[in-house]
Amino acid sequence: MRLAKALFLRLLFGLLSLLFISFVTFVANEAAPGDAALVLAGEKASPETIARIRHNLGLDQPWPARYVRYVGHAARGDFGTSYYGIKEPVSDILARNLPMTIRLATSAILLASIIGILLGTLAGLYHNRFADRSVLIFSTLGVTLPNFVLGPLFVYIFSLQLNRLPQTWSYDRPLPDWMYLIMPVALLAMRPTALLTRLTRASMIDTLQQEFIRTATAKGVPRGRLVFRHALRNAILPSITAIGTSCGYLLTGSFVVERFFILPGIGRETIEAIQQGNLPVIQACVFVTGAMFIGINLLVDLILPMLDPRIRESQV
Amino acid sequence: MKRFRRDSLLWVGAGYLVLLALVALFAPTLRYGYLNQAAMPLLHASGAHWMGTDELGRDVFERIAYGARISLEVGLSVQAISLFFGVLVGSLGEFAPKWIGMPLMRLTDGMFAFPDILLAILLIGVIGMGKTPVIVALSITAWPSVARLVKTQIASLRDREFVVASRAMGASVFAVVTKHILPQLWGILLAVSMVDLAGTILAESTLSFLGVGVQAPEPSWGSMIDHARAELQSEPMQIVWPCLVLSLTIFALNFVGEGLRAAVDPKSG
Repeated sequence: MRLAKALFLRLLFGLLSLLFISFVTFVANEAAPGDAALVLAGEKASPETIARIRHNLGLDQPWPARYVRYVGHAARGDFGTSYYGIKEPVSDILARNLPMTIRLATSAILLASIIGILLGTLAGLYHNRFADRSVLIFSTLGVTLPNFVLGPLFVYIFSLQLNRLPQTWSYDRPLPDWMYLIMPVALLAMRPTALLTRLTRASMIDTLQQEFIRTATAKGVPRGRLVFRHALRNAILPSITAIGTSCGYLLTGSFVVERFFILPGIGRETIEAIQQGNLPVIQACVFVTGAMFIGINLLVDLILPMLDPRIRESQV
Repeated sequence: MKRFRRDSLLWVGAGYLVLLALVALFAPTLRYGYLNQAAMPLLHASGAHWMGTDELGRDVFERIAYGARISLEVGLSVQAISLFFGVLVGSLGEFAPKWIGMPLMRLTDGMFAFPDILLAILLIGVIGMGKTPVIVALSITAWPSVARLVKTQIASLRDREFVVASRAMGASVFAVVTKHILPQLWGILLAVSMVDLAGTILAESTLSFLGVGVQAPEPSWGSMIDHARAELQSEPMQIVWPCLVLSLTIFALNFVGEGLRAAVDPKSG
């Protein structure tokens, strides 16, 4: 029962965050200079046309009504039409760009989880020895160095010197897709990998000193089983929470990576929209990115009690 | 041993930062300026041009120096603004009547629902691109973490004897906060600001790299990295300089911030 209440509160909090983001993006659009009706009508439109468009967009209503209208439309995936280009629906632009961003982010988070947890376990097992020290240096570099510093380095080594990987994405791709995506994904995964490594290492060191490990060792549990079944299962939980929070970084890190490798994703679309002053697209991209961030963290918080009975018991 | 290593990193970091600040301070007195052609394009590093020249023949060292000026200008402004509002909101959240404090702290919590860079990008989308918008956008994303820190610190101090005593003697809340509580917090706020400054400088470079931050012709390290990408094959050194200086700066700020933090708050070390 307590668990159900906790889950309900968590869901409610997720919903509130979503409303907050929708409100912020709405206010941003309201505060921005320029009149949507004027832009959409074009330069030669008559006052009647402008008035009609304004009425159709609901711009002649007070702001609370406009906000409700905005949320209602956004819930159905309708974000209006783009100001420029062929003035297509913003939802089409999202549909075209989302798959790439999701593909990058999921590959990166998978890679980061696997490598981060493995390296962290390794470092924790060999605490203060050579393996631990090297892993620590790697993870400090990974956390501190920005990905637009590592990016040129990767490209220089793998594309220009070794000539193994293509430098940027292109529409006619002679090579298989993964060869274009391997550098962007590695780059995007760098920081989450480093964070997860650090966390897993710290929590592994902590777990290995606990009494149940000593008991299991004394009972003669084989080393491999001890590490993976007993220690890692306990040590891994903080890392799972961190997977959720690093997704926020992933979604924003993809801005840099998509620009760097010219990938058709949400990040690149947002930047282009800002440079054009294409407000509906900016608004929609930020809203969708923020909503995905909230959704993933919600998911992690809902999964965690299933994995850890202690959380199930202790939830308020 | 560990203590010694941390301290030596602190001093090396501090030395680098002093040097960087001096370079930034005296950047306008350098010979050519960031805009003017100084020599032939794409010269290699030499005694006359310490980091060579770029594709337009501008002195790369001077552009890096101006970039340092811009980074520090943006970074320090953002830290000052977010420190001011963070301390204000944090103290209000702890001492103001509930109907003021509660909404303020809920707003602070709400700000964490947004990944920082995303909010900054949205704000820039609305107010436009350039140096001042970057300062505004990054300040708005930076104050909530200061507010949260200040609030928890005050919460741990407010029941201590010296605070209770001065309240009992009739001191106003404002006097208690400014005379007794804030002086206790400066150390930790300074340390945290150092680490946050690294984050702000990185965010400014990221935005400028993306092309929505500081606009040409003003040189930012981020936009220099972006421009130098085109000549990665033929002139790799063009990209190495801004990358190197940016990375060193971020490392130095982290070392100094963490060293200071260990000094003022021994538990965290």
